[in-house]
Amino acid sequence: MQNSRIGVYICNCGSNIAHIVDAEAVKESAAALPDVVIARSYRYMCSNPGQEMIIQDIRELGLNRIVVSACSPRMHERTFRNACKTGGLNPYLCEMANIREQCSWVHADKLAATEKAIALTKGAVNRVRYQEPLDSLTAEMCASTLVLGGGIAGLTAALELALAGHPVYLVEKTDRLGGNLARVDLTAPYLDSARDLLTERITHLRDNSNISVMLSSHLKNLSGFVGNYCAIVETNNGHNPPEEKTIHVGNVIVATGYKEFDASRITHYGYGKLPNVITSFEFEQMLRTGRVQTKSGQLPQYVAIIHCVGSRSKEFHGYCSRVCCMTALKYAHEIKSALPDSYVSDVYIDMHAFGKGCEDFYKKSSEVKTLFLMYGKNERPVIRKADPSDDCEMLIEVDEKLSGERIEIPADLVILMVGMEARPDSAEVARLVNISADKDGWFIESHPKLDPVATTTDGIYIAGTCVAPKDIPDTVAQARAAAGRILAKIAKGKIEIDGVFAEINEDRCSGCRMCNDLCPYSAIEFDVVKKRSHVIPAACKACGACVAACPSSAIKGRHFTDQQIYAQIGGVLA
Amino acid sequence: MTEKKKLQIALYWGAACGGCDVAVLDTNEFILDVAALADIRLWPIAVDGKYQDVEAMADGELDLTLFNGAVRNSENEHIAKLLRRKSKTLVAFGSCAYMGGIPGLANLTTREEIFTTAYLNNPSIEPGNRTVPYHETQVDGMTLDIPSFYKRVYKLADVVDVDYFVPGCPPAPDQVKNVILAVVKGELPPRKSVVGASDRAVCDDCKRTKEEKKTKHFYRPFEIIQDPERCLMEQGILCMGAATRSGCGVRCPNSNQGCRGCYGPLPEVTDQGTKFLSALASTIDSKDPSEIEEIISQLPDFVGYAYRFGMPASKLQRSHRS
Amino acid sequence: MSYEPKIVGFLCNWCSYTGADLAGTSRIQYPANIRIIRVMCSARIDPTFVVDALAQGADGVLICGCHPGDCHYSEGNYKAMRRFPLLKKLLKSYGVEDERVRQTWVSASEGQRFADVVTDMTERVRALGPSRIHATLLTDRLER
Repeated sequence: MQNSRIGVYICNCGSNIAHIVDAEAVKESAAALPDVVIARSYRYMCSNPGQEMIIQDIRELGLNRIVVSACSPRMHERTFRNACKTGGLNPYLCEMANIREQCSWVHADKLAATEKAIALTKGAVNRVRYQEPLDSLTAEMCASTLVLGGGIAGLTAALELALAGHPVYLVEKTDRLGGNLARVDLTAPYLDSARDLLTERITHLRDNSNISVMLSSHLKNLSGFVGNYCAIVETNNGHNPPEEKTIHVGNVIVATGYKEFDASRITHYGYGKLPNVITSFEFEQMLRTGRVQTKSGQLPQYVAIIHCVGSRSKEFHGYCSRVCCMTALKYAHEIKSALPDSYVSDVYIDMHAFGKGCEDFYKKSSEVKTLFLMYGKNERPVIRKADPSDDCEMLIEVDEKLSGERIEIPADLVILMVGMEARPDSAEVARLVNISADKDGWFIESHPKLDPVATTTDGIYIAGTCVAPKDIPDTVAQARAAAGRILAKIAKGKIEIDGVFAEINEDRCSGCRMCNDLCPYSAIEFDVVKKRSHVIPAACKACGACVAACPSSAIKGRHFTDQQIYAQIGGVLA
Repeated sequence: MTEKKKLQIALYWGAACGGCDVAVLDTNEFILDVAALADIRLWPIAVDGKYQDVEAMADGELDLTLFNGAVRNSENEHIAKLLRRKSKTLVAFGSCAYMGGIPGLANLTTREEIFTTAYLNNPSIEPGNRTVPYHETQVDGMTLDIPSFYKRVYKLADVVDVDYFVPGCPPAPDQVKNVILAVVKGELPPRKSVVGASDRAVCDDCKRTKEEKKTKHFYRPFEIIQDPERCLMEQGILCMGAATRSGCGVRCPNSNQGCRGCYGPLPEVTDQGTKFLSALASTIDSKDPSEIEEIISQLPDFVGYAYRFGMPASKLQRSHRS
Repeated sequence: MSYEPKIVGFLCNWCSYTGADLAGTSRIQYPANIRIIRVMCSARIDPTFVVDALAQGADGVLICGCHPGDCHYSEGNYKAMRRFPLLKKLLKSYGVEDERVRQTWVSASEGQRFADVVTDMTERVRALGPSRIHATLLTDRLER
């Protein structure tokens, strides 16, 4: 703040700003402010000549603070920060005033808009006086990775990392690898054996000395920050006393998968009461034994498959579980192969055949003489036990949409296509690794389109069905993507931590711990010996929650300090 | 043989309760030491001395003046200005002088309402005696006046330039000793400093255990049986300790009472009440707007709590009701 | 002479500030009385900022954050949400009219909504007349 030498640049942005805001007047007003050494008005500040102007002024006029009144900082903050850097000034000594998106483009009254631009510029000038040079920090990047979950996603990611030569810890909750895919017989649409897919993965895994597999284990605690995590994993195999192991990793991939919907929650379907109403997973088991049969060991004449059990419903889960339609068609194929004379009814809402080869698969299924019956969303077929006079076990009543009629179909075996849902322990996992889950319990990605495997917590990646229902190709793609991101980071060797974070002044912290629970990134740790709280710079995302809450104002929010903000308030109200 | 000149000191009270003077007396034998090395030229509660004696002094004749109490009326201001002229070092002594103190809460009402309540609409006033004081009156052709009652309360620094601030309601006797000795030894910190108080909050000295700060309910102190070992805020009892300077010896939490904030805000805090509000609200353990409203309704007099000692020193200073 | 209200707005970078920028790129017009101060998250907004703005002459203060559940920093807006009702209670005790200080949620895609909020607030604050807080405090000071 002492001896500020401020340069103020008013961008005209062609006529975008200048046709409403009197740029000259703003320049004149800025030039008259204390500590302002030079004020200029120029057509396009973001252009090369515009930036050169700043660079030259810094060098020749000894400027140590820059204000650019122009477009939104979200457009060009980086540009002007780079210009400062080139001129030899720390990039954080630059501030922008938004006189385009939030002024000239939204106000028709020229006088009022100019007055506002003057006020916003004053605010920026006042603020920049208190801004301080900030440098990025660097930290080491540990090349080991923790993968949570030993299903197809976890196995794929672990292999990818290990084959590149880096250590991986694969932590699996149950006592075997393979996850939900191990419960499947053949996969749609090409009818590959799931067992073969998994065996291939698992064999490679076992052969790779970089991978440490920890079965019957779960993550107990995770602390630290990207590149420098410390994980405590507990192994409890029932035979020996629980064992804890501390491992150091640079990144974590969460691939904890899904759990299937509990079909007994839909009473209309009689699951749990009617012995021959089974779930898709139970049918897979049946397929693996090689015999499609009823509970009493008979070969069924009529088989019905019901889609959307627990999915696409207002009552249970609103989303589509993606894989069930193709799986159902797969079952139609397999049943017809095993029992050519049986009648297969496929009771669905919509047929979701979006993937590669899936439409063809659908076509093929109708060729094997499957009866397709459409029911309405939020309606439900009703399954009941048939009378002894009927020649089947059960009857299913459907308000069929294509015919418009209420149809009753016979069934000796009913397969419920249960949807995917988030595992009951997903909230706990999210809490442990510091990521968020949405209202359905699926983990939230950094950006649904542009950044699907990262999360808002650096160093924690998500892959597979724990993010949202998806099929095997997408799961494997995400697993490899997450691994790829980590490999890129490992290749860099070091991580750069942004210089903007919260800092606790130990001379002022009283150890009240008001801030400790506020941090969404668990970036605040409490030193029980010193009785002071401390922010881990690399983990801090600079949201400012702790800064505002600290009753001693002992926490400084770098680049958004109280002093800077009060000065800006004063400036905009002057 | 010339005697070393004794320290010339004055102690004075503005809008005060007398507690700060009692705090000085509470230094027990120390006060006798003070009397031995100082001439107490003015101290209405304890020694004989008149305003005209002060008026007769030369400017700067007093080495040290401890001014306690807030500025509520014209006499308080007049004497504050008089003592400022006559003193080398003027100390705002106690929370009232430092921040306006409890009298400062009067800034939430108006002079008219105060007079009406005190002098007119009050069951203990005899009928026929409902008169409101006036600043001036005529008696036998002469004008008599009494100090005029200002429409709001000020802290000492609002009317004169103050050298040091000693917070506390009252300042702890130990701190009183330290301040006086510092002046005697000539070992005072930079001008405008707060003395006799720590630069950290009460929590620093409080022995209670501090863990998770998550509140689902606020309790008045009598509503629950408190755990004497655990942080009061964590038990849902208001304690302003986290937002208040230490130095008082944690007297209130040690007596199972929440800190009331009398030592004022920490050095970088510009409004003790809103800062405490921010901390307090951040610990409310709810995301549901109606539940939050319900929890907040358990704080019946938040302004009175948060600004018990510092209303005139807050950003808004007083009521702005039209 | 009619008075033009001065409104200070505290907007969070990821949602509301972006929403305000969107109003700009969409050329949606609104009154020029608001002056925006950018913070990264509404959780950074200290209630002291609000009283400071009022004491320095703001006729109105607007606080904008992300919709509950959408905060870029997970739950920052909930912290703002918890502070605000208590601040309102405090301001009421100070005799500050309820409509001078407002908290609302604006997402990055709600340019029109931002413009509507500002327009509405400007009119309400205009109807209240100028805030006399700054003038009163100045007079109090000058009288001594």
